[in-house]
Amino acid sequence: MTHSFTRRKFLHQVGAAGGSAAVYQMALALGMMPSKAFGAPQLVAPLNGRKRSVVLLGGGLSSLMSAYELERAGYECTILEASHRIGGRNFTVRSGDFIDEMGNPQYCQFDDQPNLYFNAGAARIPAHHHYLVHYCRTLGVQLETFTNVNYNAWIQNDAVAGGKPIRYRQFVSDARGFIAELSAKGISADAFDSNLSAEDVERVLQFLRNYGDLDPNLLYKGSNRGGYVQPGIKAPTAGMLEHGTLHERLDFSELLKSDFWQYRMHFGESEDQAAAMMQPVGGMDNIVKGFVRNIKSPMVTHAQVKDIRIGEAGVTVVYQHDGQNKELKADYCLNSIPKHLLVGIDNNFPAEYIQALSAIGRGKMFKIGIQMRERFWERDNIYGGISWTNQNIEQLWYPSHGIHSEKGIMLGAYTWEHENAEFFARLDPQQRFEAALSQGEKIHPDYRKYAENFVSITWQRMNHHMGCTAQWTPETRELYFDYLQQPLAGRHYMMGDQISYHPGWQEGAFSSAHNALSELQKRVSAELASA
Amino acid sequence: MLKMVGMNRTTVNSIRIRRLAFTLLVACSTIAKANDYTVVPEQFIYCTTCHGVELQGNRSVDAPRLNGMEGWYVRNQLLAFQQGWRGTHDDLIGMEMRPQATILDADGIEEAVVFVASVPSRPSPQATTSVGDSTRGKALYSTCAACHGNNAEGNKLLNAPRLAGQSDWYLHRQLEHFRDGIRGTARGDINGAQMRASIAVLPGPRAIADVVAYINSL
Repeated sequence: MTHSFTRRKFLHQVGAAGGSAAVYQMALALGMMPSKAFGAPQLVAPLNGRKRSVVLLGGGLSSLMSAYELERAGYECTILEASHRIGGRNFTVRSGDFIDEMGNPQYCQFDDQPNLYFNAGAARIPAHHHYLVHYCRTLGVQLETFTNVNYNAWIQNDAVAGGKPIRYRQFVSDARGFIAELSAKGISADAFDSNLSAEDVERVLQFLRNYGDLDPNLLYKGSNRGGYVQPGIKAPTAGMLEHGTLHERLDFSELLKSDFWQYRMHFGESEDQAAAMMQPVGGMDNIVKGFVRNIKSPMVTHAQVKDIRIGEAGVTVVYQHDGQNKELKADYCLNSIPKHLLVGIDNNFPAEYIQALSAIGRGKMFKIGIQMRERFWERDNIYGGISWTNQNIEQLWYPSHGIHSEKGIMLGAYTWEHENAEFFARLDPQQRFEAALSQGEKIHPDYRKYAENFVSITWQRMNHHMGCTAQWTPETRELYFDYLQQPLAGRHYMMGDQISYHPGWQEGAFSSAHNALSELQKRVSAELASA
Repeated sequence: MLKMVGMNRTTVNSIRIRRLAFTLLVACSTIAKANDYTVVPEQFIYCTTCHGVELQGNRSVDAPRLNGMEGWYVRNQLLAFQQGWRGTHDDLIGMEMRPQATILDADGIEEAVVFVASVPSRPSPQATTSVGDSTRGKALYSTCAACHGNNAEGNKLLNAPRLAGQSDWYLHRQLEHFRDGIRGTARGDINGAQMRASIAVLPGPRAIADVVAYINSL
């Protein structure tokens, strides 16, 4: 009966070789077990008529997801949000919107057009971010492709090629060509000493030839991957009616002077940045609007929390709203207040909890959105994507949406380095605009003449934020991450992208809510079982 | 941010064990009542974003305690920020404060003074951070006392603010700023210049920590 090799037997053998995890994976592959539910989270069991109340502090995505799930299970929820708006750092700026920066309040002057918006916080959706995509689907938030990497965008570095911008494709093509040529030489020389068979060596050389587009002699002589010199002679698009002319190769030592290859050249291959990415049609805050439409619980803005007190019977929160101090009692508290502001609020947390919250640094990040009277970049063959520079502005983003419409909002700066965020923070808004224009001109010489108006967002100066992505270190993670994920006295649950390995990502916020809701469910199940 | 230098796994584990105990022991302390708190005027809510509830100070955003600060000193400092005597060169933290002052007109400053003075003084719940030697600090403080008073209670006639009860990390940083010429060197800042001259009584790397430790004990 050796031929009746059943699936069960097969799994048994897999198990012997690879352990239970292998069995599980294999069973999934054979369709024998339900895969992870791709639908409703089902984190919270229905209360079936029993009463439980939850106060959610902070009106960002972790609270919105939690309130959405909890109220469907019969919980009584209240969201308290200190600022004037729901959504946290999911913030799409449009005509007339208020930018509540400390000391520099601004109103957005963009024209009132549907495609003239700027995602000032979260701006991209990776396809594998489970909850983010799940809620977009559930809430009817239509998605479109977001171009993150654009081979026609520019790379500019003051120390390279006299500061002249270079097309992304040319930089990448030449860098790969040089590296492939160098490797091929090394392998040819060492072939006899290596453990590789002659066949393997030949395959490696072929790999390198293809990787770098080398010539038959394994030399890099330029590649059309870097693009032809435009325009053509016999027809506008080079290479159509004649052999295209290759760009002069960049000097390798010149390329090495650029910091582009250190990280940014490979940025689009990182886990959260790889193609294809998405964005909601019409603005990232359509996700927030989707939640708000579908949540019945009160979402109170302008509600600043003053005291959080955990007791035997629940949590009492004191907050100011409408010129009055008010008290709210709830069975549980889900808290996504930024940790650096939370420690300035009265509470009865253990000293160690405060110490943990205080140990996480606050991130600094700056963006400026500029309304351009014409989409000049599209005439330069750039449709979406990012140009990179080593100046303070770091990045220029071209909108992926509204292609070939009249105007567009360009992202004129997006800083990841703290010193660059500080460079802009210390300027007043008009000075920031001027700095962004004068730096952008190194990439697009006539940039300034298209710029009509702008909004600047300095996350570390925004009222009720005073920070962007939480700054964990390996040491603080080791010491405090698990601890802050645990419920405090079964009553208080920390949330927000700050309590995730992906601060600054919406999926970090949703995942933190996933953890808080799972813990809350355990607690409530135990209470109901012992009641 | 706290520095976690030299923390080994044993330390980490022992911290975890202590945490378990803490989690079980969350104090059911007296429930705060809503009317224990100052109603903050809408236009000054943003002050409490950084300076914390009841303006108690928040080290995580480098914002000092303001409750208990004398109204005249609040006014002087808001004006100093407006003038650019504070919050300009080499002072990133002061730069964060400066726009909040420059946005106020003359009436706004007076309203801010009234608001800050209306918040009752109360001790900061944040742990002291000073590691100086208060005995040595006491000897050093004798000169400071001439202006700031024996109990660091301040003296309006001499434009010397109260120091007792102020966040110690803030005192420490401001003394360094006076020492390094970040504060007290701007043209027109007479009070600052006075303090800048006086910092000479705190020579050497330890003196500032010592004197702050002593002020902490008052």
